[in-house]
Amino acid sequence: MIEVKDLVRQFKSGDRTIKPVNGVSFELERGSLASIVGKSGSGKSTLLSLLGALDKPTSGDVVVDGVSLAGLPDSKLTEYRRRDIGFVFQQFNLIPNLSALDNVMLPMEFAGLRKAARAQRARELLAQVQLDSGKHQRRINRLSGGEQQRVAIARALANEPKLILADEPTGNLDEQTGEHIIELLSSLSRDHNTTILVVTHDRSLARRADRRFRLLQGALNEEAAARN
Amino acid sequence: MSVLARSVGNAFRNKIRTAAVVAVLAVAIGLALSMLVANQAVGARIEELNASVGTTLTVNPAGGQGFEGGGEPLTAGEAAAAAAVPNVTSVVGTKALRLRTETTTTTDSTGAAGGATQPGAGGPGGQGASVTTSLTAAVDAGTLGNRNNSGTMNGTATNGTAQAPAFSLPITATGTAAEVDSTGKALDITSGTGLGDYAAASTKALVGTTLAEKNSLKVGSSFTIAGKTFTVAGTFDAGTTFGNNAIYLTLAEAQALAGTPGELSSMVVTVNSMENVDSTKAALQTALGTDKADVTQGQRNLETAVSSLNSVKGISLVAYIAALATAGLIILLIMVMLVRERRREIGVLKAIGARNRTIGVQFVLEALVLVALGSVVGAAIASFASGGIASALISSNSSTAATAQGGPGGFGGGFGGQGGPFGGATQLLSSVTASASPGVIAAGIAAVFAVAVVGSLVPALLTARIRPIEVLRGE
Ligand SMILES: Nc1ncnc2c1ncn2[C@@H]1O[C@H](COP(=O)(O)OP(=O)(O)OP(=O)(O)O)[C@@H](O)[C@H]1O
Ligand SMILES: [Mg+2]
Repeated sequence: MIEVKDLVRQFKSGDRTIKPVNGVSFELERGSLASIVGKSGSGKSTLLSLLGALDKPTSGDVVVDGVSLAGLPDSKLTEYRRRDIGFVFQQFNLIPNLSALDNVMLPMEFAGLRKAARAQRARELLAQVQLDSGKHQRRINRLSGGEQQRVAIARALANEPKLILADEPTGNLDEQTGEHIIELLSSLSRDHNTTILVVTHDRSLARRADRRFRLLQGALNEEAAARN
Repeated sequence: MSVLARSVGNAFRNKIRTAAVVAVLAVAIGLALSMLVANQAVGARIEELNASVGTTLTVNPAGGQGFEGGGEPLTAGEAAAAAAVPNVTSVVGTKALRLRTETTTTTDSTGAAGGATQPGAGGPGGQGASVTTSLTAAVDAGTLGNRNNSGTMNGTATNGTAQAPAFSLPITATGTAAEVDSTGKALDITSGTGLGDYAAASTKALVGTTLAEKNSLKVGSSFTIAGKTFTVAGTFDAGTTFGNNAIYLTLAEAQALAGTPGELSSMVVTVNSMENVDSTKAALQTALGTDKADVTQGQRNLETAVSSLNSVKGISLVAYIAALATAGLIILLIMVMLVRERRREIGVLKAIGARNRTIGVQFVLEALVLVALGSVVGAAIASFASGGIASALISSNSSTAATAQGGPGGFGGGFGGQGGPFGGATQLLSSVTASASPGVIAAGIAAVFAVAVVGSLVPALLTARIRPIEVLRGE
């Protein structure tokens, strides 16, 4: 369970301060699939970075399974990112000179998994996101945008995180592949009790969400659930 | 993929830059290793030289080695005073005589006399009393005679009778109180026996091998000095041409021949151990007085050789440290640059859960990969260059030494006084072959790695300050 309490993140640009996240509060049950929409520059990525402990809020707190992130030292936040969080970045942020396989293995290496075990799991994950096995050893900068996006998703799943934070995970995919990814994410939340928060403008993904939010002028508003 | 594999991969990410960095590092490391090798070789050579000088000190009358001629000769009383100095195990007095061949023409004797009165021309200057002998010098005067005589012959050249080749070199006769040469080394007797009691006057003599051969002398043969008949007790080999153009008598006999009983031209003082040589030298100088005696360690030119080698050693050490520091600085700057360049990527690693330590280690290892490559190339450079660098360093230094020594060296050269040993020292200097021994290279590379770790630690610690949010910043 994740509780967000009156979260504020402000930036100073020149003599102006902007508050893309300005008093956001919500709770998410374990295993739920939630979506966030909002205009470009509305603060969606900023909100995800606060939930994933990449950044620290100006005020407010995120409580994960009863543990307040605000009270944790940096080393514990690193551990939280490694064990509990799977992040799919809007810009993918893969390591360009490593192969697809090595990129997926990286979080497992940090978690101390043995080499054979991580290679096997990385191959399974890449198969799950439908990356051709011929491309597993290919360097990231020789893969297409959509292929890179799928490697990024596989990497986020590597350490079986409790919470997946995905920023536009289907933005670069064709309809069919996108559909497959949506199916993969919703099965994770359904069958593996993984909490998933996606920033998306993909209607078909938003339709699958248990909860739907809209970020507007720093505030997060829940929209009526329309499950089918 | 491990941290190490990733570090190796990262080191080769930009191949052109890696090549440039490795080349610059190789020059610094190669220079450092060359300097280390030179330093070690010179150090070993200095030890060798010091060991060859051994534990003996030479005492000469004050000013005896200068151009002014000697001061007061040394006496038996001073020998006793020297023996009383702590750590002195033995004092051997010597009396040097200059012998000239009886059958010389007037012109030649003028030349020879001129040579004999030249201060500093062989042996302790001014102290060599001149007496006649039936012996002929084994060293052909030849060009040596011409060269050395030209100065003193000027006055007599006008008579046109100067027959330079007919000029004969003097023979050194040393009266010694023990069976040792003037540097305190035991005499190498090649046939016959020693003189027995070196303290008493005796008509027995030791003759140098070449001198014996030249004069067809064998053990038991006789010859004359100042009209007195001496018997050959044995022959000795001093190892040098000039050293073998000499004879040894007992001290008392030599003093009697010179007509100066109780006088010594030098003393050889043996110290009980190498460590005590310096302190004993000072104590001896104080005990005898600076106005009475000069105390020197071994041969003076050897000391000059050692001190010039010492300066080479100092220079090479400073250069080694400087080159090592340069290598460290190169690593520091390159790694700082790489950390700045990969800020965002470091943010990614942190965002997916890498510990600060993991990232720091990765950067240190990457630096070590660069240093390892630099070391391989640098060691190759060093093994080719160190010989040249060392000999360049040494030859530039020994030429300075030669200039300083030029006066007395050139002067006495013909007479074997200082020319022989000085030539030897030059040879010692130039024979320092700085071969790059694997042990020294390995130690040098270990030092380079230590410096690289220190140099890369700063940038590695900088990575700890990069926050994971860097990942969202645009490139
Ligand atoms: N480090 C920062 N310093 C100053 N302003 C920032 C910083 N990071 C983000 N912003 C600003 O905060 C606002 C929200 O940015 P954010 O990236 O969260 O938007 P977004 O909703 O993800 O947009 P998009 O849909 O285009 O990805 C933007 O106006 C952005 O310029
Ligand atoms: Mg965004």
